[in-house]
Parts: sequence; structure tokens; C-alpha cells
Amino acid sequence: MHIHRLEKIWLGIGISMLAIFLIVLGTMAFSMGMAPPSQHHHTIDPAKVSETAPFDKPGLIQTGDKRYEAVMVAYAFGYEPAEKLEVPAGSTIDFMVTSSDVVHGFAIVGTNVNMMIEPGEISHVSHTFDKPGEYLLLCNEYCGTGHEYMATTIVVK
Amino acid sequence: MPKKEEPSLKGAFASVLILGAFILISWLGVFALYLIRN
Repeated sequence: MHIHRLEKIWLGIGISMLAIFLIVLGTMAFSMGMAPPSQHHHTIDPAKVSETAPFDKPGLIQTGDKRYEAVMVAYAFGYEPAEKLEVPAGSTIDFMVTSSDVVHGFAIVGTNVNMMIEPGEISHVSHTFDKPGEYLLLCNEYCGTGHEYMATTIVVK
Repeated sequence: MPKKEEPSLKGAFASVLILGAFILISWLGVFALYLIRN
């Protein structure tokens, strides 16, 4: 089969771009652990969220030096715990979130934290908050008439 | 049978390079945003 010289060049460029993108993504996912959230698969009965540990006591628990675990429940239209989450700057929070009703979003503005919270599933994500300030955590999946009120704040001091 | 002359693909080549540059720049932009926010 005859291939034009210029065609060979652009095919070469296309294939090497694909190879580079895949190598970068593969390296980050497998050796640096920078994968999308929800790599751990856990399920829960959505009708019994308030009776199932640890979601019966949602809140922020310190698990180590500058390491916290936030157990949260998304519901129409808010998040539990309702009060602001406060951590010192440089802290890493491991979020563990589920929904007690419909599909919700879980996005922290200005960070890579962006998850879908589905009833029956437990979503996990971790983020290190280096800069002090107030971080807006909001629902970005339309969940009903009060969707725009569904938000909370993380305070990093 | 007489040999056919090769068609000129210069225009197509230029278009492919422009499209390739657009994809590369978009990808790098999104990737940089991901790294900055991490």
C-alpha cells in the first residue's frame, strides 16, 4: 500500500501524541495514585443511612497529624454535618460521602474535588488544603427545587 | 498504464497540524489546571 510522505508525518504525529497522553495518564494513575475518585467500591442501604455506621454520626474526625476524616451525608437540600468543617492549613481530609435520597454532587470550588454522590454508594476522595481560607463545597448535580441552597463551607486556618 | 502524479497534500497537512496543535494546547491547558488545583 502506498502512503503519501505527508500522510506518514501526520499519522506519526497523531500516534505519538496519543502515546504521550496515555503514558502520562498511566504513570499518574498507577504509580502516583492520582486516579479519579471512587476507586474503592462500597455500598450501603440508602434507606438506612442514619442507622449505618459511620454515617449515623457524620462529622470530622482527626485520624493523624494534619489528617482528618470527614464522614458526610448529602441530602435534599444540604450536607451533614451542617456546621462548617474547620481544619488547620496543610491538612489532608479524607472525605467519605453517601446520599440518603437522590443523586447529589460534591464539588469544592478551586480544587479537583468533584464527585457524584449516589444513593447506595459511598464515594471517597482526599484533598490537602494548603492555602488558608474558606472553601465552598456545593452540589453540582441538579437534585430538586432547593438545589441552589445545597452548600456548606470548609474553613482552613 | 502511465504513472499517476501524486496529489499535493500540503493544504491537508497544514490543516492537520493546526488541528493537532489545538488538541495539544487544550490537553496541556486542562492538565496544567489539574496539577495546579491538586
